[in-house]
Amino acid sequence: MNRVKLLFFATLRDRAGTKSMELDIPSELTVQGLKDKISDEYPNLKESMSSVLITINREYAFDEAVIPLNAELAMFPPVSGG
Amino acid sequence: MNFPTIFSITEDEIDLNDLLARITLTSTGAAAIFAGMVRGETTRGDAHETEYLEYEAYIPMAEAKMKQVAEEIRAKWSVIEGIAIVQRIGKLYPKTPTVLIACTAAHRDTGVFEAARYGIDRLKEIVPIWKKEVSPNGEFWVEGDYIPKAGE
Repeated sequence: MNRVKLLFFATLRDRAGTKSMELDIPSELTVQGLKDKISDEYPNLKESMSSVLITINREYAFDEAVIPLNAELAMFPPVSGG
Repeated sequence: MNFPTIFSITEDEIDLNDLLARITLTSTGAAAIFAGMVRGETTRGDAHETEYLEYEAYIPMAEAKMKQVAEEIRAKWSVIEGIAIVQRIGKLYPKTPTVLIACTAAHRDTGVFEAARYGIDRLKEIVPIWKKEVSPNGEFWVEGDYIPKAGE
């Protein structure tokens, strides 16, 4: 297993009801696998998974990327700074 | 040359004079400055009033991406001397400056205007900051439409 930290921002934080959580995920899980796991386990977040942006260790990550050990992950909508 | 690059997320008031002084060298003759502020009354598109905006950021990643934007500016316009990229977060009311991008160069015809424009456009694409709009009719998170590509 791989223990990771998952951060939520903006709409994702509101829907998750928390800023962050620790999560045990299978080793070699991909970003797509993480989205599927979140959809299954957190119904509030399911709808967000189709358009969410995901980062691994503060870099944008894509569906095929494998999540490294003890990664800092984040989920959020497209950014709106300025 | 060691050109100054400033990037930060802050809850404090943005101090333009201080930032400008820090990116002005003895060789500098021009600065292009973009500032964004909270618009209280929007008439373009979906007309509405804004009571305030509440900004949040994924601070360590946002500062890293601001640094990346500054590096992209330098790669495109090698004549740029100083760069400042600052985003204020927290609850911000109409007329309050929220973001500042400033680039300096020896002369105004060096691409310095385009560099500052590029800076704000890229900030709005890849720097993880969000704002919640609070109006008399309710509140909602503003979401962008840019999906970063691999390597961004």
